[in-house]
Amino acid sequence: MIGEHDVLVIGAGCAGMRAAIEAHDAGADVAMISKLHPTRSHSGAAEGGINAALGNAAEDSPETHAYDTVKGSDYLGDQDSIEIFTREAPHDIIQLENWGAFFSRQPDGRLAQRPFGAAGSPRTIYAADITGHVLIQVLYEQVCKRDIKVYEEFFAWQLVVDDERCQGVICWDLLNGGLKTVGGKTTVLATGGAGRQYRVTTNAYACTGDGTAMALRAGVPLKDMEFMQFHPTTLYPTGILLTEGCRGEGAYLLNKDGERFMKRYAPNALELASRDVVSRAEQTEIDAGRGVNGSVMLDMRHLGAERIIERLPGSRELAMTFAGVDPIYEPVPVRPGAHYHMGGIETDSDGATELTGLYAAGECACVSVHGANRLGGNSLMETITFGRRAGRAAAEWAMSHTTIEVPEALERDAERELQELLDRGSGERPWKIREELGTSMLENFAVFRREEQMERQLEIIPELRERFRKVYVEDKGTVFNSDLTQAIELGNMLDTAWCMVQAGLARKESRGAHARPYDYPTRDDEHFLKHSITRWVDDAPELSYGPVRMTKWQPEERKY
Amino acid sequence: MMQVALKIWRYDASTGDRALREYEVDAPEEATLLDVLDIVKDKVDGSLAYRKSCRMMICGSCGMRMDGAAVLACKTRMYDVAQSGHVPVISAMGNLPIVRDLVVDMDPFWEKFKAMKPYLQPGYERPDDGREYRVTQERMNAVKKEALCINCGCCVSECNAMESDPEFLGPQALAKGFRFVGDPRDGATVERLEQYSGEHGIWECTRCFFCNERCPKGVDPRDAIAKLGAEAVKNGIDRDMGAKHAKWFIRSTETTGWLRETELVPKTQGVVSSIKQMKFAMNLIKHNKAGLAFPPHVAANVGEARNLHKLVHEQGVLGAAGHIQGERALSKLEHGYHEGGDPYGPGSFPKPYLPEDTE
Repeated sequence: MIGEHDVLVIGAGCAGMRAAIEAHDAGADVAMISKLHPTRSHSGAAEGGINAALGNAAEDSPETHAYDTVKGSDYLGDQDSIEIFTREAPHDIIQLENWGAFFSRQPDGRLAQRPFGAAGSPRTIYAADITGHVLIQVLYEQVCKRDIKVYEEFFAWQLVVDDERCQGVICWDLLNGGLKTVGGKTTVLATGGAGRQYRVTTNAYACTGDGTAMALRAGVPLKDMEFMQFHPTTLYPTGILLTEGCRGEGAYLLNKDGERFMKRYAPNALELASRDVVSRAEQTEIDAGRGVNGSVMLDMRHLGAERIIERLPGSRELAMTFAGVDPIYEPVPVRPGAHYHMGGIETDSDGATELTGLYAAGECACVSVHGANRLGGNSLMETITFGRRAGRAAAEWAMSHTTIEVPEALERDAERELQELLDRGSGERPWKIREELGTSMLENFAVFRREEQMERQLEIIPELRERFRKVYVEDKGTVFNSDLTQAIELGNMLDTAWCMVQAGLARKESRGAHARPYDYPTRDDEHFLKHSITRWVDDAPELSYGPVRMTKWQPEERKY
Repeated sequence: MMQVALKIWRYDASTGDRALREYEVDAPEEATLLDVLDIVKDKVDGSLAYRKSCRMMICGSCGMRMDGAAVLACKTRMYDVAQSGHVPVISAMGNLPIVRDLVVDMDPFWEKFKAMKPYLQPGYERPDDGREYRVTQERMNAVKKEALCINCGCCVSECNAMESDPEFLGPQALAKGFRFVGDPRDGATVERLEQYSGEHGIWECTRCFFCNERCPKGVDPRDAIAKLGAEAVKNGIDRDMGAKHAKWFIRSTETTGWLRETELVPKTQGVVSSIKQMKFAMNLIKHNKAGLAFPPHVAANVGEARNLHKLVHEQGVLGAAGHIQGERALSKLEHGYHEGGDPYGPGSFPKPYLPEDTE
């Protein structure tokens, strides 16, 4: 063991840093482990904003925010968690501002709020269109202020579970090489999403579901894995995100005839319907031949140069760099792309998982606030509010318990497994398996899902896993061996993708991001108003179901 | 598809071997430098080491040099380079120790970041209604460009001053410093300026403007350093020779309407230190390059210079506020489009990848 801490936070994006700050302030000795430097985390790529019912721009309340979130989740969100979430969000936002976050302002000097999809009031606090970047910066500043230890460029690989308790993590030290074990009385997983399972995604190369896979293999149940959100506006051809803020500021979506097609799908909310609705509308247009080479057009020209430069400079820069189009003068080609995983490690509203000493927060967790479909702006808020709650709970548990034990056998096993991988002298390189996974997931398990395609995907993934067993890591070095870590990441993506498709095939209804228009076009509350729960048994996922926690809101038809 | 050729400076830390290797791969036309490196790593040489993550120029991982100039690999489109037949040389960033291939040790970079006390030190207690500080967007915009910094290190890589003094705080740390000095909510302005004005601080910048030139996000770190200098002088923190030097420019133009260079040395270095320069001064005088005129010559239109001085004081635009923010952040992209011209012609942004109509 190279270090022992009260609280160990794996992942240093918004959720991880917020958890570490809270645990530190609660008096615990905290360390963060991250395969990237904290400011490189993909939270920083969030653009549009963060939701809290401050009521600055128009009348608003946590109850309205909660209702919008419940409705957006297609009634699969746990309503007790959602109520905690919307009630505590405003305070968390004020705290971030007080820490120095560079948010945009309205003329009276208070925080500005913009309209976002499926929100009953302009509720989204923002910093132009670099909100995630601003949050990452302010959180890292606070981490520096507290001098919190960070194991930078440590690739977390396996959780140490002994005595039915999580006691730390075995990591690969990217910079210097070698397996290193870090002990923690409690561990908070905050490793983010797994969008890299898809060929077209807004996610960073780093978003490979490492924490989710680690927890899964440690016997921890995952929840609602079938729900992958497709963001309606990702750039053609790269899948790079253009914020919902573009539509929040008034951009139109046009098909090849120049028609604002959203009026046929969501006559009231139009472009600002919830993301699943807009993505489906786009996909329908594209499938019906009304797209432009697999895209629709996002038109911002009528907003005018000044507004685009003031409010959406980052999106403009992205469109110009990656699509060669200046949105001031031309519409931008966009299409749905894998964006956010609503499912994840099952936790209670304090981030605690089924395994003692293991907590989770942020995208890798499923609290579940987002249910079957997340609203834009709710994920950043979730990282902060539930990151804080998980950090607090983890610190409190850690400080009332004393010992950490890491059995040597576990470390030896890990060492042996790694050596086997590195000693392999030939075999298939990981990229081909990665590309096949990405392409097949996009084809068979994307915006619209067909029974036979999901069945095919359930055959493809075990085949890819079989090939992955013989994967060849060409780099045998110790210093910055990213060839090795990329291979391990591929294994994590394969396992979590398997869970997703299995849960998807079994859910015989259309709810939120899970749309089966060909066989089960409607929501089926009688049979499927329940969470899918996935456990890892005998090297394969096993599916069961759990209840949805309801408080005030009964399911009703969802219209925008 | 297109063919792209690259030369990459490889470095093996365990042996200390350095080698320039050439690679040629097929890549899609929209490929960036990062995409090309990925193809090389996947299909040609798995041992190539570089950092990457977001591939959308916000995480700051993939700073490296192309033909000797720092770039973000994910922002650099390869189409034009490949078409021209030029084979670019890719190497690790400068001014930071190389760990392996294109990976540098960022520790010295982050040490300087942390040395800036990079967190808000509120000037007054939290607003007593428990709400946010009331600050106008206009006042916050004073640090708008600095808030864009993604800590990629491109500016540090190119910094000429850091090349001669590795301890120089450097453009990214100082830009971060101004992020707080210019923030109306921060109350530690004087302490910060004292600290940043010390040795290896504000005044060590040589004003080569390479940081402004190479910053992929339009932060313009040199402008931030200039604003720090102006704020320091405004707050009377001017013990450094750099500050005294700058002050004499103002004093001299205000009094006589031109720069009295002969007096610049004693005003900057002090009398004692200037005596050591006597021999050099005598040589200058001998060749009619300098001299003391008494009373000093006063420019004919000195009134204009004095009026300008007065105007700055009257309008209260001393310090950073007087620094001309000649361009908006990201404006470097703006020259891409000329009304009526060919938006994709030479010198504009890269070739468009608008999908073609399927028909």
